[in-house]
Amino acid sequence: MANGRTDLMQGTLELLILKTLAHESMHGYGIVQRIHETVEDLLKVEDGSLYPALYRMEERGWITSEWGVSENNRRAKFYKLTRAGRKQLDAECANWARISKAITRILQTA
Amino acid sequence: MQVAITRLFRRFNRRGIELEIEEEFCFHIEMLTQGYISRGMSLEAAKDAAAKCFGDAERIKTECAEISRRSHPFMRAMKSFLILLFLTGVLVRLFSEDFYVRHAGDMLIAVAALGRLLLYASGLSPSSFLSGNETSSPLILDSASRTRIVAYNERKRIPIEPTISDE
Repeated sequence: MANGRTDLMQGTLELLILKTLAHESMHGYGIVQRIHETVEDLLKVEDGSLYPALYRMEERGWITSEWGVSENNRRAKFYKLTRAGRKQLDAECANWARISKAITRILQTA
Repeated sequence: MQVAITRLFRRFNRRGIELEIEEEFCFHIEMLTQGYISRGMSLEAAKDAAAKCFGDAERIKTECAEISRRSHPFMRAMKSFLILLFLTGVLVRLFSEDFYVRHAGDMLIAVAALGRLLLYASGLSPSSFLSGNETSSPLILDSASRTRIVAYNERKRIPIEPTISDE
């Protein structure tokens, strides 16, 4: 934390991607921008590292991808949440709430 | 129909997969570059900042290509077929009394094992033998200001050149 950068636990990025895609399909750049806008840059997603996560999520069937046209008329790959992805999002949200609650309790008692 | 066949072939072909990934990365880097230009950077500085922000594109491309290749329906079907072949071979080997049929079972097991080995070997690339220097998580809490650009990877090597015009 000395240099202002702290790694977060694995699986968090998947949760953020699932939540970001919950409302609409988006391309990779859009996903990163949406996350940064939402958290006001308190949390930084490494742009390139987003893609292995997206590909793994597609492999697991949580999202699907389709080539389309972006807002500036460029060909871009759009990702969309599947039904399995929506279930996963619910499960991940519940899991995150549990972990967060547990850590908060420990921090309050220590 | 021809487009669909070409797309299917492209998705299975290693180079085709890489081309698709490069196109996707290129779009992302171009958008980042445009963003930096709109914040007042020169084209060269914006390109450099976008490349740094994106990270090691070559390593990420290799990783994505491997995931994409192994998740292809043909590869999945092939893996399932080989498992089925192996199990059939084992069952034949266990329950058959006939020498020739047992021998056929051995052959099935050998073919399934060899096929699986070939599938595994075909997925290996030179980068599989290199150790990465990535952090444990691609997510970083950043307490710096909004305009700070964080260089995530010192071994920056971007083969994709953004095609932003000088206008």
